[in-house]
Amino acid sequence: MNTTGENPVPLLAARDLVKAYGRSEALRGASVGLDAGEILAVTGTSGSGKSTLLHCLAGIVRPDAGSVSYGGARLDELPEKRLSELRRTEFGVVFQFGQLIPELTAVDNVALPLLLAGVSRADAHTRAGEWLERFGVRGQAGLRPGEMSGGQAQRTALARALITRPKVVFADEPTGALDSLSTEQVMTALVHTARESGTAVLLITHDAQVAAYADREVRMADGAVAPVGVTA
Amino acid sequence: MTRDLRTSGVLVTDLRMAWLLTRGSDRREWWRVGLTALGAALATGFALAAVSLASLQGQYAIPVGAGLLDEPGTRAGVIVSLLLLLVPVLGFLGQCARIGAVHRDRRLAGLRLAGASSARVRRISALETGLACLLGSALATVVSVVVLLGQWQSPTALTWAGIAVIGLGVPVLGASAGALALRRVVASPLGWVRRVRSRSRRTSGLLSAGGVLLVAALAPVAVAVTSSGSPRGSRSPFEGGPLIVAGLLVVVGAAAVGLVGGTAGLMGRVLARRARTAATLIAAERLREDPWAAARTHAAVLLVTAVGTGFVGVRQALNAELDQTRYLAADRSFYTAGLDLTAAAILVALAITLGGLAVGTVESLATRRRGLAAQAAAGVPREVLGRALLLETALPLAPALLLGGAGGMAIGVWYARLTMNGSPGTPYAALLVPLGVYAACLLAAATSLPLLNRSVRPAELRYT
Amino acid sequence: MSTRHILLGLLAGGPSHGYDLKRRHDDRFPEARPLAYGQVYTTLQRLVRDGLAEVDGTESDGGPERTRYRSTEAGTRELDRWAGQIAPPAPFVTNEIFAKVVVSILAGGDPDAYLRAQRAAHMARMRELTAVKTAHGADLATVLSADYALNHLDADLRWMNTTAARLTTLTAEVDAA
Repeated sequence: MNTTGENPVPLLAARDLVKAYGRSEALRGASVGLDAGEILAVTGTSGSGKSTLLHCLAGIVRPDAGSVSYGGARLDELPEKRLSELRRTEFGVVFQFGQLIPELTAVDNVALPLLLAGVSRADAHTRAGEWLERFGVRGQAGLRPGEMSGGQAQRTALARALITRPKVVFADEPTGALDSLSTEQVMTALVHTARESGTAVLLITHDAQVAAYADREVRMADGAVAPVGVTA
Repeated sequence: MTRDLRTSGVLVTDLRMAWLLTRGSDRREWWRVGLTALGAALATGFALAAVSLASLQGQYAIPVGAGLLDEPGTRAGVIVSLLLLLVPVLGFLGQCARIGAVHRDRRLAGLRLAGASSARVRRISALETGLACLLGSALATVVSVVVLLGQWQSPTALTWAGIAVIGLGVPVLGASAGALALRRVVASPLGWVRRVRSRSRRTSGLLSAGGVLLVAALAPVAVAVTSSGSPRGSRSPFEGGPLIVAGLLVVVGAAAVGLVGGTAGLMGRVLARRARTAATLIAAERLREDPWAAARTHAAVLLVTAVGTGFVGVRQALNAELDQTRYLAADRSFYTAGLDLTAAAILVALAITLGGLAVGTVESLATRRRGLAAQAAAGVPREVLGRALLLETALPLAPALLLGGAGGMAIGVWYARLTMNGSPGTPYAALLVPLGVYAACLLAAATSLPLLNRSVRPAELRYT
Repeated sequence: MSTRHILLGLLAGGPSHGYDLKRRHDDRFPEARPLAYGQVYTTLQRLVRDGLAEVDGTESDGGPERTRYRSTEAGTRELDRWAGQIAPPAPFVTNEIFAKVVVSILAGGDPDAYLRAQRAAHMARMRELTAVKTAHGADLATVLSADYALNHLDADLRWMNTTAARLTTLTAEVDAA
């Protein structure tokens, strides 16, 4: 496994990203590369631009300047429709909360990406059940997100993000609202599945113990990326 | 310090608090205030018109209304129609109350946690709603009085009393509705701070039902007042007609809210199990979760459809009758003017109902902004989210419209059989009404789609 | 860490010889510094001297002769006393990292660079420990002992982050004194 990030053609790469929201500049020339199958942690204080970097890399927002390349092609130039499809098929996202539809049961939430891809409801349910089983929340299949504990909801969200066997999973503070035991369960489930299926993970966290699950860590400060431990 | 002074001091503080909270809140709160004021103005306007007419006794020569207002019998029909127009207005106001409801509840729960007594939170909330209603009713009263004085040199004391009662009554009713709707927040502030979902929204349903019943109670009084003093012999044979129709409609209306909510829930449960596409699944589960959300406007849609369909049938029969009858008691324009006025009233009711529907859809979107943005970020296509939103309106409306159309059709056919002494023609044209209303409702719901595109912007994801 | 008491604890399960005790210790306390055989031997002799353990017998099934030890009644009492005794919470603040930062300021060095390098080293160790605990088939003892170290390293890291953010003030304070 490449842990240096010096691979000449990373799977996903950002170059000199700039992004401003109104007057506040969230990104000021951020560059980072993510290799296939690599788990990369992005740490930094709140407001350092971590989430915006993830949004740019996942094609959720377009940067004001700079480029994002995925598999050698420019991601930031794709039309919105294609980006949406990409996020649905080759990417998976997990946020701190809010990614599950509150009205749908756990199994329907997990089956949703398959339904969108045209898989029949019965098949989608079967496969969703398998993924819930893998993450130890099979017993909660019929519950709605509001009826689950935070850790169960996040494991359900992971199942939903991984069910399409994506190439990259984007996780923005996935354990931000969890206690340490739930954090351990969620992170172990994420890391095991990612390693088995060769899925790359971009993991945003402010928690060093969560960052330690990654192969490599980059630290953000003031909208730019600085590798850890490098003397300025 | 005397008790009076202390009470007024507390009230001033509450007023200031209500003002601060409203001023400090976001744009949505201003929308709520504005739309509530608009609804209150409409309600006041219709009620004032009805009251002014009801205060008349016996024969008059009124320049407007093609002579329909001259005589107690037909005047009673106009009064009942005006009061019936209050039903969609109530539905509209019900939807307006939902705007920013989650935010408002949390804000007031915060007040409660900060140590405000439940009575005070209730007062503040009542003032918030009451002031918006006062604004609307004051505007409507001023305009109505100006118009009235232009038409009528010396209104009677009864008229002035009626105007005063309505002008003040609407804000008072609004304020008490605001205080009542807050029962749960006052009882358990922590529950709302923690964003626990309420299992039922029947409170507001009860409020609407109460409003409808109030209208139902007012109608006979108003008709009785205007009819008293007319000589016994000159009473129109149709006099009982409007009352029966009104009573029927009120019963149907009260049943409609429950029926629409019930069918929406049932439909959600059935469809959720069978849904094949993501959009249907999302829409069905949302219906199952909260079937009462749109029940009020949908009940108003049902009523408007029933009345509209019935009206088209009655109009056809009446026109045919007019064509056949050689001798007419009055000028033909007397009858057609009545029909045209009724048509106009139905269209106004439809417009108000559609307004309420649009407000409801927009509000449902606005409260779910963050979740929708997360769905879009996860790659759920906007088209699917948009389709789910439209289905959420379209699915429960279908049975409501079917029922409304069938009911209206029955009225039309029944009337045709009653009046025609030859072969009664079935008013097939009336069937177009439910279809037209359905299309209009979908269009009204579709007005929220541009907002969906704005809502799913990732900027919504930034504030966690 | 008291090796005597840990050996007494292992003996509580029944008589055992030195090599067996060492093996069981290393199994039971993964990621701990492994016991040297010599240390096990001298500790056992001291336990016998103090009357907390005694020789149970010798055996030599074909190989070198081994002495088996067992716990005495006094040993069991001592073990009970020790196991229930509260470990003194940080009686002295001995912080090598902090010492290095202060010394670095006194000597006109670059404490910021040192903290960054130390942070990287801490993170590398945390990744190692996390890999150990997330490895397939890792038992609970392994997970818990790795967690113990992870939490301490995390505490160090957080301390380093706040310190790095306040270096300017610290430098002024140290220089002024």
